[in-house]
Amino acid sequence: MTAKSLRGQLLRQLLPPLAALLALATVIAYFPTIEPATAAYDQALIDVGLALGDRIQINGGRYSLDLPRAAERMLRTDRYDSIYFHVAAPDGADIAGDEGMPQPPPDETPADHVIAYNGVYAGKDVRAVAVLVPCNGQRCMVQVAETTYKRQRLLRYIVLSSLAPTVLIAIATLLIVWFGVKRGLEPLDQLSEEIKVRSPRDLRPVEAAAAPEEARPLVGALNALLEEVAEANLKQQRFLANAAHQLRTPLAGLQAHTELALAQPVTEACRAELEQVHLGTVRTARLANQLLALARAEPGGSPEAGLRPVDLRQMVQGAADEWVHRAMDRDLDLGFDLEEARVRGDAFLLREALANLVHNSLEHTPAGGHVTVRTAVRAKDGRPLLEVEDEGPGIPPAERARVLERFYRVPGTAGTGSGLGLAIVSEIATLHGAEVEIGEPRAGGPGCRVSLIFPAVPER
Amino acid sequence: MRILIVEDDAALAHGVSRILESEGYAVDVVARGEQAVSAAAQERFDLVILDVGLPGMDGFEVLRRLRARSERVPVLLLTARDAVDDRVHGLDLGADDYVAKPFAMSELAARVRALIRRSQAQAGPQVVHGPLLLDTVARRAFLNGEPLELSGREWAVLEVLLARVERVVSKDAIIQAVANWGDELSLNAIEVYVSRLRAKLEPAGISIRTVRGFGYMLEEHKEN
Repeated sequence: MTAKSLRGQLLRQLLPPLAALLALATVIAYFPTIEPATAAYDQALIDVGLALGDRIQINGGRYSLDLPRAAERMLRTDRYDSIYFHVAAPDGADIAGDEGMPQPPPDETPADHVIAYNGVYAGKDVRAVAVLVPCNGQRCMVQVAETTYKRQRLLRYIVLSSLAPTVLIAIATLLIVWFGVKRGLEPLDQLSEEIKVRSPRDLRPVEAAAAPEEARPLVGALNALLEEVAEANLKQQRFLANAAHQLRTPLAGLQAHTELALAQPVTEACRAELEQVHLGTVRTARLANQLLALARAEPGGSPEAGLRPVDLRQMVQGAADEWVHRAMDRDLDLGFDLEEARVRGDAFLLREALANLVHNSLEHTPAGGHVTVRTAVRAKDGRPLLEVEDEGPGIPPAERARVLERFYRVPGTAGTGSGLGLAIVSEIATLHGAEVEIGEPRAGGPGCRVSLIFPAVPER
Repeated sequence: MRILIVEDDAALAHGVSRILESEGYAVDVVARGEQAVSAAAQERFDLVILDVGLPGMDGFEVLRRLRARSERVPVLLLTARDAVDDRVHGLDLGADDYVAKPFAMSELAARVRALIRRSQAQAGPQVVHGPLLLDTVARRAFLNGEPLELSGREWAVLEVLLARVERVVSKDAIIQAVANWGDELSLNAIEVYVSRLRAKLEPAGISIRTVRGFGYMLEEHKEN
């Protein structure tokens, strides 16, 4: 289906009736005007004919026209048209005037002895009148004709003067439609702009008050859809929360019992098996957490509409306890370098991203090494950043793009990772409009640094 | 010491109770929130370990009822849902701490010990940490039974750390706590007091860990 332009369609539908209206208006203006005007011109010709008829003299059966040369010159003088006349005796014989005048239509027997008609004389269109004047008991015929220049001019004038306003009205109508449609659709443009700039997680209904009356059903349908999506999201969230609960509780039980079993006096072989079970439990629990975090990082995966102000420093401080013990168990120096750094974000997801970064660093740094969590605002562009650097093997430049993919692991790495950690970080970063930068520690040396560089938050 | 475990997952409840019993606590287990409320009304417990996701009356509601009776029994929440919301909500309702499922038993046991110690410190004038004893009324400290000389500020710093054993305490938090006692302190001054405390406590096996760029943590005293 091709997209139909509302404007084009309206114009196409409007043009034929407008053209018809134009023609009609012209015709309506033309006839009432042209009749009296041409009648007046005809009357002038008839007057000349009558005047000439008065000048016919009869002298013993012989007809003549008493027309002094000065009078004839006057009679033939006209500013625009050439004037011709002819006077004929009752028997049709010439008395005076121009020969070869067009004859009146033969069937006409006018009551007032005047016939007006059109004809051609000397190769030109002429308007002629034939006046039958009393002439010795009979009737002589005086024909007077003139070229039609005056009449044509009048005609043009009438047509133009009646056409001009209607044409103007038509143009105005088309312009009004053109801009009216544009203006009428402006609220729709605003509406689509409003929807375009929305965060994909913002499922609040669209403001219906701003939409034009005609667009209300559209907005209503859109809002109904948004509501359904929000409802579905809410259901998904509940499902996730339940799934999390249902998964984590038995895992916690499993972990408790393996730990209890490990505390018993058991054979070395049995201990080794139990340790594997325990490790598997911990890993499964972590994987469950990661999958849930991934689901939450999906657009619409979080119940909160939009992002809120978060101070990265406070967030790190609040979460520090979670890792300090693990770092100590591994004989790692987990340190912090924290400046106030405000971003707009989802605190839960940011914490999850950080947890994954710290987990990776603790996992890959050899005992005795340093891991540093840093929050700062970049001096060069005012962008807040959150980064974790370690003294592990680092990620080769060629692998840096790929490690952000789900389930990808750098070939040849030891450890028990699922390959989801950095994918989660990357998705959470994307959700926040942040860039993920993988590099070396800022102080140089071997190791890995992963930075999330957030968009600058405008000062309020 | 008597602990009430409120957990509907039988395997987990069983595991936790066995571990706590092995640490010398008397443990009661109930599976439903209603039972927990009535148990707490009849008996006196030193700690309640409360699962948030209980069938029927959930953990938050149990907590609300416990606190409505103005009972100051320490409550440790077990949460399995996305931890941030639950934690904030739980702490708002008056929980004392929380542990996210699944957890290492050692971590849970450490939290339990810390909570019980804290509630005892609030109840009584003495705080015990391994060989260290603080008499908060007489403001006197003893190490292995011997009187321990502490300056006023050293005392204040130690008190803050003792209240949060096994937890990282930020330098800012220490300054805030100590500033009540004296005039303003710099971050460097805190470092000085901590190093003096270390010199006095480490010979007795009590160590204060530095968390670089953040603060300090008084480690749990391990019996040898």
